[in-house]
Amino acid sequence: MKVNNDREWLKRQAALEDGDFVSVGGFVESMGVEELAGAQNVIPLRSAFARLIQLARRERNLSCEQFAARVDVDLAEVLGIEADEHYRPALRTVHQIANFLGIPDKKLLGLSGLLKVKDAQFQKAALQFAARAEPVEKLSQEEHSALEEYVKFLCER
Amino acid sequence: MNPKRTMTLNLTEQEMRVLDEISAQKDLSKTAVLRQALRLYQLIDVRLSRGEKLFFEDEQKKEKAELMVV
Amino acid sequence: MTERIEITDFVTGEAVEAELFDDVAVEHFLEAQEEWRPVVVEARWKLSATGEQHLIPRHAHWDWTNKEEDLKLLAFTFYGLRCGGKLQGLMKLQTVGHRCRLPEQIGKPLVYVDYIETAPWNIKLLMRALGREPQYAPIGSVLIRAAVRKSIEEGLKGRLGLHSLPTSEQFYLHACGMESVDKDPAKQNLLWCEFTPEGAERFTTGGTL
Repeated sequence: MKVNNDREWLKRQAALEDGDFVSVGGFVESMGVEELAGAQNVIPLRSAFARLIQLARRERNLSCEQFAARVDVDLAEVLGIEADEHYRPALRTVHQIANFLGIPDKKLLGLSGLLKVKDAQFQKAALQFAARAEPVEKLSQEEHSALEEYVKFLCER
Repeated sequence: MNPKRTMTLNLTEQEMRVLDEISAQKDLSKTAVLRQALRLYQLIDVRLSRGEKLFFEDEQKKEKAELMVV
Repeated sequence: MTERIEITDFVTGEAVEAELFDDVAVEHFLEAQEEWRPVVVEARWKLSATGEQHLIPRHAHWDWTNKEEDLKLLAFTFYGLRCGGKLQGLMKLQTVGHRCRLPEQIGKPLVYVDYIETAPWNIKLLMRALGREPQYAPIGSVLIRAAVRKSIEEGLKGRLGLHSLPTSEQFYLHACGMESVDKDPAKQNLLWCEFTPEGAERFTTGGTL
């Protein structure tokens, strides 16, 4: 096979490549992610995900920066999760948060929108939690109870 | 390029016939077929050692059967 | 294997020496995670201000801490590309277990590109979000050419296959000249792209040795 190392091939390919992405999807399956969720039904669950992270952080009296450091994830990820319901976090971020909070990986992946969830009860519980939790400075008793109950639910089933 | 070593392989008539058939079907040399087989064997063996299982799945019948590998 | 190649540094406009190597270790993937990820996150943050963050491919970063064993298996081959003292590209190939889907070569074995990435400072969309221009090229092409060579070494005649993410289809179909088959429902409807031996030959030649 003729292999062309000369400048012409490399220059031509540089122009054709034009700074494009080259990512492929091969490894996604091996991560154990069953299906990347489409846009549908993901935003309501992501509200619950954002609220869960925010309340769990505030319950521990941690700023976003402190939480990011403690969990060993990028600060931008924590900010994105809490501030932007369209934000899709990295798989590693969700793994790290799941470990930190003691919640099963797959449950948190489902909430974050990285894993498609077909369990209607799971979806309903997520929506109810998101509806009950309001962003205030300090956790109210209601929020505290909601958070405690929901974490217990995620860990049990 | 990785340096290569040569070995002599003794196969039965049937094994030789199968090797020829696969070689023709897959457009591979006989050496390439055996190298593919070696790669596959190691991959399966390592995964099984990790506790994973290997299945054949019939999508039409929705049936799964575990492949037992010694 | 180590090979020296001249690529272009578009920031300086000069030709620079890069090194293609195949003795990839876990440290290289950890380096990619540490060096590349913050740049991607920063670019994504900037793009989210204009609602364009969806343009960045949504894919997971592989947790390499449990995958060290894969580096030693015959079924997998890894390549890295280094330039300017930094990792510029990484690729993982699977040399067994995947088959051609193009009608003219259906069922024949091919080399599958399981993972390929270039450093974010080489990607136009990300760099422009940060007010910069992409730096080195052609990283993806050099890696795909190495994949074609591997396919030939394995006796698979240059046959190569992969599932392209939507944002990469331009690269595989036009810059590399791969043929597309179908969107694969078993793989999140990603587009299957494939090289025949002739297509691989066209991609890799086109000049003098």
